[in-house]
Amino acid sequence: MAGAPSLRQIAFYGKGGIGKSTTSQNTLAAMSHYFDKNIMIVGCDPKADSTRLILHEKAQDTILSLAAELGTIEDVEMEQARLWGKGLFDKETPGGWINCTESGGPEPGVGCAGRGVITAINFLEEEGAYDEEGLDFVSYDVLGDVVCGGFAMPIREGKAQEIYIVMSGEMMAMYAANNISKGILKYANTGGVRLAGLVCNARMTDKEYDLALELAQRLGTQLIHFVPRNNIVQHAELRRMTVVEYSPYSDQAREYKELARKIVNNDMKIIPTPITMDELEELLLAFGLEDEVDESQVGKAAEA
Amino acid sequence: MFVLGFHFPASMGNQIPDELVAEKIADVDISDVKEIKLLMGTKERDKEWLSYTNKDTFLFRAMVHYFKEENPEKLQKYMIYMNRYQMSAISKRVDAADDETMKLCHHLDNMEQFRIEVA
Repeated sequence: MAGAPSLRQIAFYGKGGIGKSTTSQNTLAAMSHYFDKNIMIVGCDPKADSTRLILHEKAQDTILSLAAELGTIEDVEMEQARLWGKGLFDKETPGGWINCTESGGPEPGVGCAGRGVITAINFLEEEGAYDEEGLDFVSYDVLGDVVCGGFAMPIREGKAQEIYIVMSGEMMAMYAANNISKGILKYANTGGVRLAGLVCNARMTDKEYDLALELAQRLGTQLIHFVPRNNIVQHAELRRMTVVEYSPYSDQAREYKELARKIVNNDMKIIPTPITMDELEELLLAFGLEDEVDESQVGKAAEA
Repeated sequence: MFVLGFHFPASMGNQIPDELVAEKIADVDISDVKEIKLLMGTKERDKEWLSYTNKDTFLFRAMVHYFKEENPEKLQKYMIYMNRYQMSAISKRVDAADDETMKLCHHLDNMEQFRIEVA
């Protein structure tokens, strides 16, 4: 594996739209700013929004788009594909630093998005990005609704060793978390990947903490942190900044700082025990997210 | 595994016994605290002060520990959601018979933001 033995390769997986990129960037910003960690972000989402808050940009050029523009991947230079964070996260400022890459993806409807992830990681390894002096963490930000072979690449190829699943107390977010756990289980023995915890990016629905905790326990892992909803996250995003940089003494920055502290010190990395669809539905029923359905009523329209 | 911010080694599993958490806060000095005051809510018109005075509980000790940690000037402090949910969950198991504690746990379980002071 590329990189120093002490290098930790982590990944944030989760359902599309769950706030995965926002959560990961704010958490990584806190790891860098408060705990002096040096980090490389590898964005593996075709949306290419995994680095914008660190770079204060709309979206950086992706490795796939650069390869398409220049001809082949061999024509891409490291300094084009990898950008250093702005403000607090620049290499020249005190504390930790963050550098950023985005894999990119194919045009909609054409090709496999996972191929971009594979191409990007191979490129970064060959160019020595994992061997950057002082690098503490590599963080992959990966779409995980379906866990197709391409998006499973960071875990399939033994790149990401510890997986944090961003979820909420909504049914599809929990379904995706369970599905991602199945993907981790599949490759746990061959690649050494482990589930390191669930991060509840809360929607502030009833019993959300209890539900997230119960799912974590059934998967054999921990609910590592419950991140409350706060408008300051959106205010910071409008300025293309993390909360840590936008308002470092805010309540929300304290939440991300605490999550960062836990990840830095986390040693709980387990092979997950996914649950069945029936068990997931039972869980939702038990916490009142679904009303029990009379089987005789299934498929019948509501009366006018 | 993290409970109330304390790290418990992974070898202990993902369900830490309450007594081990209680051990972590056993030495906290509560002698100088008579009352815990909690400000619940963020919107001016909905803010509400709650008072908690039962010193013989896990919750009182846990809150004093939370307040004093890295707070030498004893300023009002924001409560991390996860910590307060965990305080409530443990309290409901170990101090279930105490009405004052259960009433406060009911508040702690909601989605409002809390800030803590001591007197």
